[in-house]
Amino acid sequence: MAAAASVIQKRNGGFAPTLRRGTVSIVGILILWEIGRRFQFPFLSAVPAPTEVVRSLDKIITNGKFWNDWIASFTRVLSGFALAQLIGVPVGLLMAMNRTLRYLWFPPLEILRPIPPLAWVPTSIIFWPTTELSIIFVIFLGAFFTVVLNVLGGARAIDKRHIRAALSFGSKPRDIFWKIVLPATMPSIITGMAVGMGVTWEVVVAAEMIAGKSGLGYFTWASYVGGNYPQIIIGMVSIGIAGYFSSGAIRLIGKFATPWQRQI
Amino acid sequence: MTPAGAINIHNVSKVYDPGGANVLAVDNCSMDIAPGEFCVIVGPSGCGKTTLLNAIAGFHEITGGEIRLDGRPICTREFTAEPGADRIVVFQNGALFPWSTVLNNVAYGPVVQGAASRPEAKQKAQSLLSELGLSGIGGRYPNELSSGMRRRVEIARALINEPKVLLLDEPFRAMDALTKGVAQEFLLQAYDRVRKTVFFITHDLEEAIFLADRVLVMTTRPGRIKQTLHVDFGRPRNFKMRASKQYLALKTQVFEAVREEAVSAFEAGERELA
Repeated sequence: MAAAASVIQKRNGGFAPTLRRGTVSIVGILILWEIGRRFQFPFLSAVPAPTEVVRSLDKIITNGKFWNDWIASFTRVLSGFALAQLIGVPVGLLMAMNRTLRYLWFPPLEILRPIPPLAWVPTSIIFWPTTELSIIFVIFLGAFFTVVLNVLGGARAIDKRHIRAALSFGSKPRDIFWKIVLPATMPSIITGMAVGMGVTWEVVVAAEMIAGKSGLGYFTWASYVGGNYPQIIIGMVSIGIAGYFSSGAIRLIGKFATPWQRQI
Repeated sequence: MTPAGAINIHNVSKVYDPGGANVLAVDNCSMDIAPGEFCVIVGPSGCGKTTLLNAIAGFHEITGGEIRLDGRPICTREFTAEPGADRIVVFQNGALFPWSTVLNNVAYGPVVQGAASRPEAKQKAQSLLSELGLSGIGGRYPNELSSGMRRRVEIARALINEPKVLLLDEPFRAMDALTKGVAQEFLLQAYDRVRKTVFFITHDLEEAIFLADRVLVMTTRPGRIKQTLHVDFGRPRNFKMRASKQYLALKTQVFEAVREEAVSAFEAGERELA
């Protein structure tokens, strides 16, 4: 009995086992990588080993410039992402609720959407006065279409019975919007945020490689150009970690914004 | 003034897509429902039952005739009154708001009507829930409840608005027999408490007799009232009456009436009784 209970407890332990498994898996990969480098495995032999990376990291971690690159990328991502949400969510909702706007805006949206964000870089640099603004604009575009389409799809798929029920209870149009349409669309807004966040990190890195003078993308590219291979790895892993924390933040927002979806 | 809730349906017709497919869904249908009467409409699929309910609710227009609520026209050829809290609908398969807790779902009506402040509405919702034996689930979300429990909450959510008329569109459809029985008894208890006019649509003849003061059998499309059966059982009712001879005799009678319609619907290629 007691044994069974403790097994169940361990299973529901939540964070601790996940952390343990995660650590084992990551440490395992690092060891394999180190061995691969030392023993000259194909492919792996060209990549600096974790120990070399750590030594290199030791040098730059105290260097303010490296952290400024973190801040630069994060600032761009958050600005572009926030703009995409602030403009994309209302646009999606308006298109869902107003047929004329939908017919008017959908065709240009569908033509612009397939253009990869990076193809916007040249026009963007010509159009905006500073490089900073052009990078933010490209990031904004990367997330914008995803956000609009998710919100539009979510708001259009609202169960008609919910609207009818709300009308039957005497809702005014603003109640329908704030108390029915918005919460019903919230899961799609969160999905749009999650996908959009992924896109913004892809875009910021590439944009910084093309046009940047700072940021993690620039850091990675500059390290390659300067022949500092361990730093390339540091740049890549930094981007990975930054993206991971951004997605975590979105998951947290989702948890609070759609509490009814938490359980099951 | 206490809400009365008399419904007069007079020569109502509904044509879908006039000028196009021109489908006559309801044809010259008339019925009068007394205040506080529990009226159940049965009939084959596509006979226009739901069309009629939607017209009373204010969701659909009609193409002929007139519907009055307490003498006031609410749906005519020219005019359809906005949906409102005097005629609350409980939908097929349920329409609780999944993003709101049970308490907020029930409190929704009074809040949007401005009838009560949010805390007042919640308090009212809480006391109604406990009155109906549903206390303790106020903080849960609908997807955490069983289907039977959700239906009960939905009935509470309708009743809190003190409507003149409750419009129920196959509310217990697709529930297993046991749960359905419990939900029906819950509805009967609630009805005995408030005695609102009830307009209840179903395919289930057994359910119709168990609940109704009067069962109206509708014909195959175009829908008209074919037959009226009075159910002279007293209230409160409970599941035991389902075994009585009187009940079985009535069931046979309704079954025969509906069977004719089902057969003609079947032969006309309509969808079968669900």
